[in-house]
Amino acid sequence: MFKATFYKEWIKLRLYWTLLLAANASFAGYLCLRLRAVHEFNSAIAIWDAWIFKGYLFFNSYHYAPVVTGLLLGALQFLPEIFSKRVRLVLHLPLGEERVIAHHLLAGLLLLTLILAPVTAAFAVTSNIYFPAEFQRNLWLTLSPWLLAGYAGYLLAAALLLETTWRFRVFYLLLGWASLRLFFLGDFYDTYARVLPVFALWTLALFSLPLLSSYRFRKGL
Amino acid sequence: MKLFARLTLLATGVLLLAHYLPSGYWLVADKEKRLPFVFYSCISNEFLLNRFVNGEIERTDPQGRHFEREEFENLLPLDNYMQLYKDRRMPKEINGLAVTPEKLRRDRINLRIKPALLDSPAVALYPLIESDSGRVRLEMPGDLLRLTGTPVFIDVKSNTVNAAKSAKFTAAFQAAQFAFPVKLVGGNPNILKPYDEGYYLTDSRNAIYQLRQVRGEPELKKLAGLVPPDQRAQLDTLKPRYLHVQEQDNHEVRLVIVEEGGQVDLIIGPDYRLVTLPLQKYDPAAMNLTVRGDMLNRLVTVNDDNHLEAIALDRDYKLLNRYTESQPSRAERPAGRVAAVLFPFTLDFESDDSGFVGFDLAAGAGTAALLNLGWLLLAAAWLWWRKQAPIRRLPELAAVAVGGIFGVILILLVPTVE
Repeated sequence: MFKATFYKEWIKLRLYWTLLLAANASFAGYLCLRLRAVHEFNSAIAIWDAWIFKGYLFFNSYHYAPVVTGLLLGALQFLPEIFSKRVRLVLHLPLGEERVIAHHLLAGLLLLTLILAPVTAAFAVTSNIYFPAEFQRNLWLTLSPWLLAGYAGYLLAAALLLETTWRFRVFYLLLGWASLRLFFLGDFYDTYARVLPVFALWTLALFSLPLLSSYRFRKGL
Repeated sequence: MKLFARLTLLATGVLLLAHYLPSGYWLVADKEKRLPFVFYSCISNEFLLNRFVNGEIERTDPQGRHFEREEFENLLPLDNYMQLYKDRRMPKEINGLAVTPEKLRRDRINLRIKPALLDSPAVALYPLIESDSGRVRLEMPGDLLRLTGTPVFIDVKSNTVNAAKSAKFTAAFQAAQFAFPVKLVGGNPNILKPYDEGYYLTDSRNAIYQLRQVRGEPELKKLAGLVPPDQRAQLDTLKPRYLHVQEQDNHEVRLVIVEEGGQVDLIIGPDYRLVTLPLQKYDPAAMNLTVRGDMLNRLVTVNDDNHLEAIALDRDYKLLNRYTESQPSRAERPAGRVAAVLFPFTLDFESDDSGFVGFDLAAGAGTAALLNLGWLLLAAAWLWWRKQAPIRRLPELAAVAVGGIFGVILILLVPTVE
């Protein structure tokens, strides 16, 4: 049944997904090529020095891209369902409301992963050419909170859009802003090394919020 | 799943409010009072204080005597020599010593150790600068030293290991009987400095070594072999927590050793003399340490927001004078006492004392728990008045019991399932 839901969501989102993938891949490609160009015109030691002692990472400007992508994907996936109340039909499928919404969320998360994974791989491969093994740890520890913010942004957007009342939508908006900005503290590498597992668990727990919103939607609360 | 979602919302809400509400409260509730900046006058041989009061600079001595700016500068000629020379107020000699601008500039020491230096992310790759290249200026090497195991040099241009150089340095480490792994590394990887002191390392037995690269060759010396013989036993007892190197024009302070217990030792001068600073209270995780010096005296200060200690030393590091000043901490001030009752706990993610994001959870006062109980009764009464059975809103009531005012706000905000 997940395959069927995924196919339905894919038909709905394929154009937007392709555009989001293209935008992310282009941005990542630009940053990788810029690193190559910087290497052409600067001494390698100056670039390593900027990385190690000043915390300059060539992919730093990508930091808000995952959360913007997650929010957009969540909006593009669930806005049409809400505007035309199509989600009502989905909730009456014999699967059960929780499972069917969970399938929709998994489809969205999979599509988001298929955008973020190639970008991450591009950064990892490029940095492996120009930097030593130590850089990979910095890459993962610095990129992970931004990627988690992407997933959290997607789930919060879904919860907000499936919510039925404006009062609670405003609550989700405030909660989303207050929590998502915590993924972007500090401007040095590895600053989240000590809190990453908790942030990851919290992001995982957010999966339950759209399910609560869909329950309230079906009950007309 | 609905219950889990509500619990997630409540827990998230309580923690976020525990972060944002106190932050907002402190923006309006209290004015931070700063401790003074301390000087030591070589003219009056006493401390002088420079503090900001209501946006104005107040210059006093510890007894509270006020000074005009010119008066203050005259008492601190070694700190204000450029202004004094400009105004032709600079004495030709001080305490019988002739002064010249060049000598004054060269004899200045300025070292600062902030708590975040001891607790920040770092990559364990170090540029080992050539200490004696024959060039006027220091130059960055083309390789970096990895010290996670035996020394490995990585050529940065090709991103490959320089096996020959790595082997040469490994042999030097073995010859010096260095016990791997390296525990601490202290150095100043910067070419904008007057000379290169190299790196100081501790091995697995806490023995300190000095590593330099001299004309391409490794030079690894055990500090115990460099300090005066009568100080070797004392050196063996040190438990270094942080090693700080910051080369100065006068080549005097080679190394600052911050120990586990907060004791601070300096390695001084050409004979590597060990000097323990006579500080009364220093917490390296929370206090700033500065070492300032001029051609006559040394001034060491340690401070956090609430406590300051300054010691004046002569050029031989003998104690001349001590000044301490304390003020009530933020928690002890009226606004802090109100906050401790109002907020059952607060949560911070960032700190000036660390380069890492963390969870800094601080509990409020005991009376906050009583207030929580009051909030809980009020919330239950409100639910009863709204004809909602409190038993069906147990998660929200639990949030009030734990989070007090944070939980009360959330009762109004968190989506219900009825």
